[in-house]
Amino acid sequence: METLQHLLGGFQIALLPVNLLFAFAGVVIGQLIGVLPGIGPPAGVAILLPATFKLNPTSAMIMFAGIYYGAMYGGTITSVLINIPGEAASVMTTLDGHQMARQGRAGPALGIAAFGSFIAGTIATVILMFFAPWLAGVALSFGPPEYAALMVLAFALVIGLTAASPARGLASLAAGLFLAVVGVDVMTGLPRFTFGQLPLLDGMDFVPVAMGIFGIGEVLVSLEDESAGDAGAARLRLADLFPNRQDWALSRVPILRGSLLGFLIGALPGAGATTASMVSYAAERRFSRHPERFGHGAIEGVAGPESANNAAAVGALVPLLTLGIPGSATTAVMLGGLLIFGLRPGPLLYQQHPDYEGGLIASMYIGNAMLVVLNTVFIPVFVAAVRVQKAVLAALIVTFSIVGVYSLENSMFSVWLMLLFGGIGFFMKKLQYPPAPLVLALVLGQTLEMAVRQSLKMSHGDLGIFISRPLSAALLTVALAMVVLPALPALRRRVAGGRKVPEIPAPQR
Amino acid sequence: MKRLGWLPVILIVVSVLVSPVIPAGLAQQFPSRPIEFVVPFAAGGGSDLLARAIARMLQEEKLLPVPIVVVNKPGGSGAVGYTYLASKRGDPHHIATVSSSFWTTPLVGQSPVSYRDFTALYGLAFDTFLLVTRTESTFRRMSDVVAVAKQRPGLVSVSGSAIASDDAVVTYMLEREAGIKLNYISFGGSGPALVAALGGHVILTWSNPGEVLPQLEARKARALAVASAKRLAGLPDVPTFKELGYNVDFAQFRGVVMPPNVQADAVRILADAVGRLCRSRRWQNDYVEKNMITGVCMRPDEFGRAVAAQHELYRKVFAGLGVIK
Repeated sequence: METLQHLLGGFQIALLPVNLLFAFAGVVIGQLIGVLPGIGPPAGVAILLPATFKLNPTSAMIMFAGIYYGAMYGGTITSVLINIPGEAASVMTTLDGHQMARQGRAGPALGIAAFGSFIAGTIATVILMFFAPWLAGVALSFGPPEYAALMVLAFALVIGLTAASPARGLASLAAGLFLAVVGVDVMTGLPRFTFGQLPLLDGMDFVPVAMGIFGIGEVLVSLEDESAGDAGAARLRLADLFPNRQDWALSRVPILRGSLLGFLIGALPGAGATTASMVSYAAERRFSRHPERFGHGAIEGVAGPESANNAAAVGALVPLLTLGIPGSATTAVMLGGLLIFGLRPGPLLYQQHPDYEGGLIASMYIGNAMLVVLNTVFIPVFVAAVRVQKAVLAALIVTFSIVGVYSLENSMFSVWLMLLFGGIGFFMKKLQYPPAPLVLALVLGQTLEMAVRQSLKMSHGDLGIFISRPLSAALLTVALAMVVLPALPALRRRVAGGRKVPEIPAPQR
Repeated sequence: MKRLGWLPVILIVVSVLVSPVIPAGLAQQFPSRPIEFVVPFAAGGGSDLLARAIARMLQEEKLLPVPIVVVNKPGGSGAVGYTYLASKRGDPHHIATVSSSFWTTPLVGQSPVSYRDFTALYGLAFDTFLLVTRTESTFRRMSDVVAVAKQRPGLVSVSGSAIASDDAVVTYMLEREAGIKLNYISFGGSGPALVAALGGHVILTWSNPGEVLPQLEARKARALAVASAKRLAGLPDVPTFKELGYNVDFAQFRGVVMPPNVQADAVRILADAVGRLCRSRRWQNDYVEKNMITGVCMRPDEFGRAVAAQHELYRKVFAGLGVIK
């Protein structure tokens, strides 16, 4: 009851015209940030931070939250239309979303992402309201061994899913894991594979790598292939712009599953929206009756991960609001903002400033509603963008990518890095190596490595720590099952075949 | 940025117009254009908050006639930003924040520039460290930690942000003073390190007072001791290490530096402005008390000596840790 009262009070605050205005400004800016390559949500919030000094903290926080999930929506648009993930959490969306666009179904892909995100955002906000304190406890029970197991599970899920050939998926993943070790090793303080380059000390940045492999690589391939990239220009009817009844039937359950998975994983500090979208995509393919459709424009492959990353953005507020500890890069910047206003998020924030938290949660409902309207209204415009002549579009993509990447750290180094990975992306595409595992491993590899090494330090080198703790043992068991189960039918066939023909040809040793 | 009015614009225009006419010897109408305040770290961190607080208050209190523009140049644990500042040799229109990485990154050989390449401007704050455990922990006071650690060296784990960081330095100091061995584990940042302790995955962690205060107030965490010379005003019940017989006195040091070879007059003008800010009531309230730090107001010469001393301190500890030779 008390929660509902706070929420009602929150709506009164959030519906104040000034706060509505800031929520709207936030979601529009967030959407732009998501669309523009280079600037991610953390940078967006950081840049706008000084502009909010004169506001009251509630309005500022409402705007930041708007930027955060606005960017989650925006990242989808470029993933679907031009195959460039705006941020790491949208990498999975490129797999089926862009395929849909090439089949002339960009509209339904964007539509289901928008509606899915809205539903997921709403569900996640409700869970946040009622279960945040309890979830904070769950998040705390995740120690290094559990994070290591979660990352292993995420990688186990992604290997088999993205490629016709799991071996190629594994190779791509391994390359990504290698790139993730570049930079200063936090455990020993020594630089690894930096070749004396200062910008590499902080590690290989996700944005230039992803924009190179996806964006520039895609452009190079499309220049070579006359037919590629033109499919979006197929005739369009208004009815084709939005998800139809069949799309909805296919997407309903994935959206719900994505919301729950996304929120839970997002609530773990450090795991975040990227892991959530990976796990959701894998789950959808696993549960699908037609897994072969995935990678060729399955709408569930867009609905699930897009719902999950939005729910995760809300989930990331759990550690911030309940423990006072940021769960992601963006919430870390938000925390800095709160400190400027003299608010200290922490276990007592809720008692000390109930109006603030109620207002924030209520504004999330409102912000989500604004985003879904904004996105459905502009779908025809976005879709029309892909119908721009290929030569023009390619030039635009390259220009925006270079400017965007340069603006990251105001350095040419990032630009060269992106162009290098553009070349790598081209060859990966030609040789049919899936790019998603590489990029995801780059993002999550550091977490995996840190977690494994922390665990081993905790246990004084005993590997048993991963299986003696129930939570990590359970996660690892699921990971093992994910690798073994799909192989079972093939194994059984081989065994059965072996019985019929007992004389197996001598193995070539 | 908008609240400056026309005065700075006029000043800039006038100074630009007049500067060719004035003989070189008199052309030190410093500051003659906006001052760039370089933060060698990402927006939202401690250095960023410091720079933005200084810039805002200098402007609002009209202590300098020109705007101050905060620019984040993150990368290489500060190396990128400090290298940039060092390249502005002789130009006093650039300043940068100083935090631990100002000393530690060059010491571990990851920066082409070191403290010798800069002009000390002003020392502002010390941020000390609390040794913290979660409330459920059976370690109720410092003597419990020392007793267990003496019996089973390396058993008691303590989390920190990185191996060449303040957390590692203060761990090392405590180990030497108490004659114990702890199991130090890096978590890549102070937030994750605190979470690991709150979740009971490690036994102890180091936190700045401002960071951990909400957890202490909510009784989620317990502070065993503080690494400052005197007890903190906000936490009068937490003993200092010195009281307990361990000479552990350490704090992260914050201040502002300028490029090399800048004219003494320019240093004096900026130091006067920052000094007036440092002694203001507003600074005490809005920065020092809010962040639970120990404020100081160190003039350039005093700050310069402190910078060299801090370097020497880190160098000794890192040599002891085996991080450097």
